[in-house]
Amino acid sequence: MTDLDPKPQADDALVDLLIQQIAWELSPAERKQLAVLSDAVTPGLQRGLECAAGAVVLAAARADAAEPLPETLRARIDRDAAAYFALPKVIQLDSYRPAAAAIPSYSAWWVAAACLVLAAVGWLRPPPSAPPVALVSAPPPTSMQQRAALLSGPATLTLPLGGTKDPAGSGVSGDVVWDPVAQRGFIRFVGLAPNDARRQQYQVWIFDAERDERYPVDGGVFDIPAGQAEVLVPIQSRVPVHTAKLFAITLEKAGGVVVSARERIVALAQAT
Amino acid sequence: MSSSVLQRIAGGDSSAVRDCIEQYGALVWSLARRLSRTHADAEDATQEIFLDIWRSAGRFDPAQGSDQVFIAMIARRRLIDRLRKTSAEPPMDPVEMLDQVAASDGGGNGETLSEADHAMRALAELRPEQRQVLELGLLHGLSQSEIAARLDMPLGSVKSFMRRGLIKVRDFMNVQPSAVPARSP
Repeated sequence: MTDLDPKPQADDALVDLLIQQIAWELSPAERKQLAVLSDAVTPGLQRGLECAAGAVVLAAARADAAEPLPETLRARIDRDAAAYFALPKVIQLDSYRPAAAAIPSYSAWWVAAACLVLAAVGWLRPPPSAPPVALVSAPPPTSMQQRAALLSGPATLTLPLGGTKDPAGSGVSGDVVWDPVAQRGFIRFVGLAPNDARRQQYQVWIFDAERDERYPVDGGVFDIPAGQAEVLVPIQSRVPVHTAKLFAITLEKAGGVVVSARERIVALAQAT
Repeated sequence: MSSSVLQRIAGGDSSAVRDCIEQYGALVWSLARRLSRTHADAEDATQEIFLDIWRSAGRFDPAQGSDQVFIAMIARRRLIDRLRKTSAEPPMDPVEMLDQVAASDGGGNGETLSEADHAMRALAELRPEQRQVLELGLLHGLSQSEIAARLDMPLGSVKSFMRRGLIKVRDFMNVQPSAVPARSP
């Protein structure tokens, strides 16, 4: 059988590992193997294989008759996008700025546009798909203010956060504030190691006492910029959390995962 | 050179989000329908994929490939992870999917061929075994060991078919390697 190789050549082994990395995950042993062969990995080689894999996926989609997104689904995606881009991802507490400057650039665009409309027509009307803009001069609450507001909730949990033995979690401290009524919360980190967002991102997991603990609720991915000692991260849960009993932060591949292998748990906050 | 829609999203361009949904909504929806068991699953998956796209836009590097390929791979990853989470198999017979793609007209209607059209033509050049292994691995998320068991094929053959198939697609798409010469099948 001509396609059987009696013994893979070194270049075949390298290509096989790269394909494994693109299509699935590398085991720890495979990561070590790839590290040994890393000198032979050129950007063109990896890029070529990634593009080819993407092309196979594209072709499968292209073969279908083009069907537009259902309107109701489109509306859900639009709402998700508005909520996602309105929420700051990480607030750097040790470089905290006054409220006006703390508005993320995406929502600041809408505020500016809305002000132009006000000037033109004499009243404030936001663009159709923009997040709501207040009709008063006070700026929207900062994330610290939002967190403070949650603290007064009757059912709000405030849990101390501790690091683990994982190198990224060594010495980490902070706290989790979670309001089960509002279904919102913030995690404050002190000393969490910065990550290379092209390779790895942190991901929040919420263990719900009323759900299968094999599948905790995804609380969102975030990055820690270099040089920041203390940061505040909003918790972004897309599904309801009934009874939060544990918050875990893992380090995952860039973009996050649906199910964590829990190989790198860097911080935990547990409800008593 | 104009920025890609993903670069514009990463740069905070508000109109880029709408443009992304307009340009790639059908692509993501198509993949979700192919690789989900129910219509409701496909809708949930599509919603999650766009969240992944917003999260990942900052990582996009146009030197590494097109918006389309980047988004297709994000969609694939989420769909395979969802299938693995439920231990479900995609609904379509695995033998059929890429064979249908290979047999379909790759956009030869006189219009400029898209990247996807080129990809379809590349797949048509592959041997059936190469298409089969690529489909099971890339579209169904089966590991190479699982593919070997499914097809009653030695693991070495699976690796060889996948390697040679992917290299052939790469070469057909005119993405040239800087090392590792291509081998003819």
